Amino acid sequence: MRVHDVNFFVKLAGALALTIAAWIFTDWRYGLPLTLITLLALWLAKVPGLRGYLKGASLLVLLVVASWVLNLLIQGETPRDALAIATGMALRLVTTTAAFFFVMETSTPGAILAAATAARLPPSVTLVLSLTFGIIPMLRDDFERIADAQRARGMEIDDVGFFTRLRFALARGVPLLVQGVRMAHSISLSLSISGYDMRRRRTTWRNVGLMVEPRLPLVKGFSND
Amino acid sequence: MLDINNVTVGFGGTPVLAEVSLLAREGRWMLVCGAAGSGKSTLMMTAAGVIPRLITAAPFSGAVSLSGKPLSGLSNDDLFTRVGIVMQNVEDQMWDLGVEDLIAMALENRGRPKAEIRERLETIIRQFRIERLAGRRVLSLSGGERRMVAIAAALAAEPEVLVLDEPTTGLDPEARQRLVSILSGLRGKVPMLLVSEQDPASVAEIADEVALLKKGGLTPPVPLPSVFEQAVPWLEAGILPPTRRASPQPSTTEAGGEVLAVRGLKTKLRRPDGTPVLSDASLTIRGGETVALVGRNGAGKTTLFQSILGLAKIEAGSISIGGDYADDWTPARRARSIAYLPQNMRRILFNMTVREEVMFAITAGKPEGKGDGPKADEALARYGLTDLAEANPFALSARQQAVLGLACAEAAGSLVAILDEPLLARDLNGRRLLEQFRDRAIAEGRAILLITHDLELADDIASRALLLDEGAIAYEGPTRALWTSGAYGKLGWPGPRAIVEGEGNYARP
Repeated sequence: MRVHDVNFFVKLAGALALTIAAWIFTDWRYGLPLTLITLLALWLAKVPGLRGYLKGASLLVLLVVASWVLNLLIQGETPRDALAIATGMALRLVTTTAAFFFVMETSTPGAILAAATAARLPPSVTLVLSLTFGIIPMLRDDFERIADAQRARGMEIDDVGFFTRLRFALARGVPLLVQGVRMAHSISLSLSISGYDMRRRRTTWRNVGLMVEPRLPLVKGFSND
Repeated sequence: MLDINNVTVGFGGTPVLAEVSLLAREGRWMLVCGAAGSGKSTLMMTAAGVIPRLITAAPFSGAVSLSGKPLSGLSNDDLFTRVGIVMQNVEDQMWDLGVEDLIAMALENRGRPKAEIRERLETIIRQFRIERLAGRRVLSLSGGERRMVAIAAALAAEPEVLVLDEPTTGLDPEARQRLVSILSGLRGKVPMLLVSEQDPASVAEIADEVALLKKGGLTPPVPLPSVFEQAVPWLEAGILPPTRRASPQPSTTEAGGEVLAVRGLKTKLRRPDGTPVLSDASLTIRGGETVALVGRNGAGKTTLFQSILGLAKIEAGSISIGGDYADDWTPARRARSIAYLPQNMRRILFNMTVREEVMFAITAGKPEGKGDGPKADEALARYGLTDLAEANPFALSARQQAVLGLACAEAAGSLVAILDEPLLARDLNGRRLLEQFRDRAIAEGRAILLITHDLELADDIASRALLLDEGAIAYEGPTRALWTSGAYGKLGWPGPRAIVEGEGNYARP
């Protein structure tokens, strides 16, 4: 059993519960173990892209702690209290983003479509859910693909300083936008020619329960019809 | 019957098809051939109702009807239940779904019972012999694998009309034979089949009639056997005739110094069974050579060039470029010596104008030098792109983008150009541009690595060939000796079509 194959709604409920817990227990002494356990769970589940997420989360922690400490000091808090409050805030954000990062990275659009279909949600809600959670990893992959295209065309984006790298990353915005439009067009075309109809309930080939079947078990003999 | 009546279709005010008529009757499967850029894709999408229903065209006039009913009068659901289409660029109709999801999509969307869908899924996966792809995400598949899955998906709902736009593109010879055999088995089940191809021979077994597209117009359909062995009709349509004539021996210019060497390459990327995609790949390419790389779909050809460029991580092995040890070079530094041209050039274009793309190929993002502008203009002129210099590269047709790729690679003067399944290979004008590119590369001591499933193309233009199989280079030697080698025999593929002796090369019109 792979944790990736757990039903999307179960994962979503788990992420929500974790978020609520993080925002109820605001003290950093509760927040720290909760964040560490969440990150450990992500590592154990071998969530793809975890290293990249951790880099982003580290930046988030630094920015939040710095800006909150400065703000609280200006408001007259003691440095110790300011640091405690800022750290608690940063931990809450990391726990929340990590929980939803897990949901997003381990739920394929196909698995979300299946879970939503089995839950008999209206086709419009089904589509919105699978695109909302599915499109971000797709755009991230495209962002990386564009970076690879720049490298493959000879643009030096690795062996340069932080600010140059940042400038090149921002320059990927335009092709990413173009790619985003193309992707939306492909999805729309794919749905239209496969008969996706907002007024008709769809079915799914997958067995869906607590887990969502990841692949079709091929059982019968060879058929050539 | 599918009746395309006096249809004119264009984009941005420029007609691509002019007053085209075509009648596809039940039981008579139709092939449409034409050069790249002749309007085949536009015709296929119009026949399937995608144009103007989902893609707006201007101008658009004329009518398309199915069994007497205009397509414009059918609901989306009715239209796409009755007509299935696989586009030339299959990525245009795919997104990040699983293989089973994509194949089952049309059935799921129509609310068919789960048991029926699973039964149909299993049947079609076995029929297409794509069991090993089950459970994978379509965007992680190789180009040929994606195409097979897209065709399987189009067939899953058993349409009345199946429209396939260049279905054999990117398929290895075995997959091509398998596809033709599957389609042959559908006679009686799919009443109407409309296929477009640049290479008529690849689908000759299943096509009853052929119509040729040239300059936006369509010739009346004729039985395929009646023109198959003639040269003139195909040449007039701007494509290479299906019956091969002797072509000049691939250049035997004495190879120069080593420009690319790969030793014992083992990738970190692994197959679902845990084996590395490349386990021990070694090859050498010398200046002035054109080397063909062939291998099964999914053999690791893409991973090989990605590893050479440093875009895929390697576990062991070494790479040298231009005689220098390049293992610690960044991908960008490698790419300044190795130009990569994928079949779908959109993947590597990111500048705002055609001229900027060529300039970027020369400068690699650094400030423009004094002679760079004229050099870019010269490359654009040589490939007939001067009038498009200020156009957005994404607004070009796939064919124009492929030509732009050649212009970029030539302007960059890279030591090695990797051409991945070039779209231009089968039409006369494209072949001329490709040969021009090769000849200049050879003259300047540069090399070309041609990744292709088109055995005739490899046989015609590559002096040496590499065969990638089971994670290693299983053959490295003269191209014409490849076809009789043991490594090639193991693939079970037919060789390139035999050359008709004594008739010389084709005259270019």
